[in-house]
Amino acid sequence: MIGLRACGGALIVMVMSTASVAAQTAVPAGHIKVAVAPAYIVRQNTTIPAKAGDPVFATDTLRTQANGAIGVTLADDTRVSLGPDSEMRLERYVFAPADGALGMVLNFVRGVAAYVSGRMAKLSPDSVRLETPAAIVGVRGTTVAIKVGS
Amino acid sequence: MARLSRLKSGLSARCLAAATALVAAACGGARVAPATPAPPPSPPALIALLPDPDTGVTGKIRVSNEFGALMVDTPRAATNVTAHAAPGPLKTISEDEVTRLFGLALQALPPAPKHFTLYFKFESDTLTDESARKIPEVLDAVKRLAVPEVVVIGHTDTMGEAKANVTLGMKRATAVQKVLESAGIDPGLIQVASHGEADLLIKTKDNTPEPRNRRVEISVR
Repeated sequence: MIGLRACGGALIVMVMSTASVAAQTAVPAGHIKVAVAPAYIVRQNTTIPAKAGDPVFATDTLRTQANGAIGVTLADDTRVSLGPDSEMRLERYVFAPADGALGMVLNFVRGVAAYVSGRMAKLSPDSVRLETPAAIVGVRGTTVAIKVGS
Repeated sequence: MARLSRLKSGLSARCLAAATALVAAACGGARVAPATPAPPPSPPALIALLPDPDTGVTGKIRVSNEFGALMVDTPRAATNVTAHAAPGPLKTISEDEVTRLFGLALQALPPAPKHFTLYFKFESDTLTDESARKIPEVLDAVKRLAVPEVVVIGHTDTMGEAKANVTLGMKRATAVQKVLESAGIDPGLIQVASHGEADLLIKTKDNTPEPRNRRVEISVR
């Protein structure tokens, strides 16, 4: 019974998070400003070559290969960039101060990255989280460089 | 919707499997649960706090994992973290090391957004003379960018209801949008939003008149 109830709870959470994903995808989280091939946006199992001006949405993954690079400016003026052979997932992004809704989780999977904080870290530092497999970084400002992997 | 129903069916299958396993366990099944495969080892991370590329000011970060936390607040302070131990110790890396380790990522950072704050004449939607003079600077900033965006955000002070202030902020932002469009900025580049009283320039209590909070901020990026 416990297992079943837990499953029910998981189901509700999944349905809710799916609904919020659908809501988020209406508004881009940001735009690609710098793209050096090979650089890609992975969106719901589809991989598309990234080019400057492309919108980026919450839950997108950005990925580069050898010699590639990618730079993004998010809606709150946060900037994030990746060097070659790198990957980052935009786990969560909500920037709606008028509704009191703020949240950003960037998950650095591998490679090198740079982050410069924007409005969100000023308005609500606890809403910003940079994740790596080994540790989490909370940001009070402003510029962080991350290398994942040896 | 298709994605949702797939999720649901995936989950209900998982629920079923969990229930089956529970029943099997409850019935005293002698079968041993299959050993969960060891997760792949987590790669280490090198995390460095750098001075802001535009202001030179160094901020503050907190690096943490299940074993501990570390505050970092000095320029080019870096820590190597593994998934098996608390972050630390801290070391200061040289500018050359920053370039060697992170240069290719830092090079790909988009240009810093340029900010302009505009004010209106008292109880009107006409910009003050000083603010009106900033419009050519906005145009100039837009021209410098390869893929520009112009984000216009209206703000209010804390007088009145928060909800009404969102509407008022939108009115101010729309007024600036018109000014920018008539100054020759491609309307397709402009986004308009209101933060109402949620993002004060000067922090005040509720219901406080503050002219400096009645503003429109433009981010050109």
